[in-house]
Amino acid sequence: MSRAAQNEAAKIAALQQALAAEQAASYGYGVVGAHLAGARYLQAAADCVAHDRARDRLTRLLIALGATPRAAAVAYKLPVTVSTKADAVLLAITLEGEVMAAYLDLVPAADPALRIVAATGMQDAAIRAAGWGGYPQAFPGFAAAH
Amino acid sequence: MAEAAERHGTSDPTRRVVLAAAATSSLLLAGCKGIRALGPPPGLSPDVVTLEHAITAEELMVSTYSSALTALAGDAKAGQVLARVLAEHGAHLGALRSRLILPHRTASATPRPSPVAPAMPADRQQVLARLAAAEQAAVTRLTGQLRDVPAALAQLMASISASEAAHLVFLHQAGLTR
Repeated sequence: MSRAAQNEAAKIAALQQALAAEQAASYGYGVVGAHLAGARYLQAAADCVAHDRARDRLTRLLIALGATPRAAAVAYKLPVTVSTKADAVLLAITLEGEVMAAYLDLVPAADPALRIVAATGMQDAAIRAAGWGGYPQAFPGFAAAH
Repeated sequence: MAEAAERHGTSDPTRRVVLAAAATSSLLLAGCKGIRALGPPPGLSPDVVTLEHAITAEELMVSTYSSALTALAGDAKAGQVLARVLAEHGAHLGALRSRLILPHRTASATPRPSPVAPAMPADRQQVLARLAAAEQAAVTRLTGQLRDVPAALAQLMASISASEAAHLVFLHQAGLTR
């Protein structure tokens, strides 16, 4: 495979990974919302819509590159078992962390325009995580060490 | 996802990926022609200039938050949030500095003074608004700059931009009402 074809394959693989993270977050927020009421329920619903929009944007980007966007799973194993309101909030923060990690992986595979998609995806997720009371993190997206 | 991070080498934002000014290559090319063949020192690459801008901006941010903490000394709630955010800016600054290694003569020739933040307004809302404006400007600047730098630095800048976007939320939690 030529270098250009390798770069293209890496870009598509990283986009598919980001798409999978957005699909998983969209599913997960359904569970988050089911355990919350009032303003927090509305917040979960709004964040779910935000992930759906991001999913649609990544889907369009993959199609534009001639790739077939991977379909969402019917159900996902959630990273947090939710039985209380606090669990639901922790799930929301965890989902945002996974989305940020996927976008961080997209940065090195991306061309300049796509890097901005990745960076703004990370910024949006960081803002949502902070809205859920996520503890500040100096280096979102990077593995825990910090 | 941890595995993917490992594969791309993204597990540690502070590891030293070096962006050095290209001084060694010209020394090698000069070979045995003697010291006069060296000519003027090479210019800094655009990546190094971008990184230096990012470092200066982060230094100014640290200075701005330090002034704000002093200005809001009587406000425990805001003080707690600001101290936490200041610590994160300190971590950003450290990570950015660790990516920059300049040849000794460049580093010692012009010791660059750290920027000092202008005096803070007296009003609490105005202080918080000034911090929010600085964070928003940093997010915008980093998003533009990370287009054209090496991949590892682009990742660090993307991560820092996300952290600084979250700071806007923390400033509202600290009492910013606008």
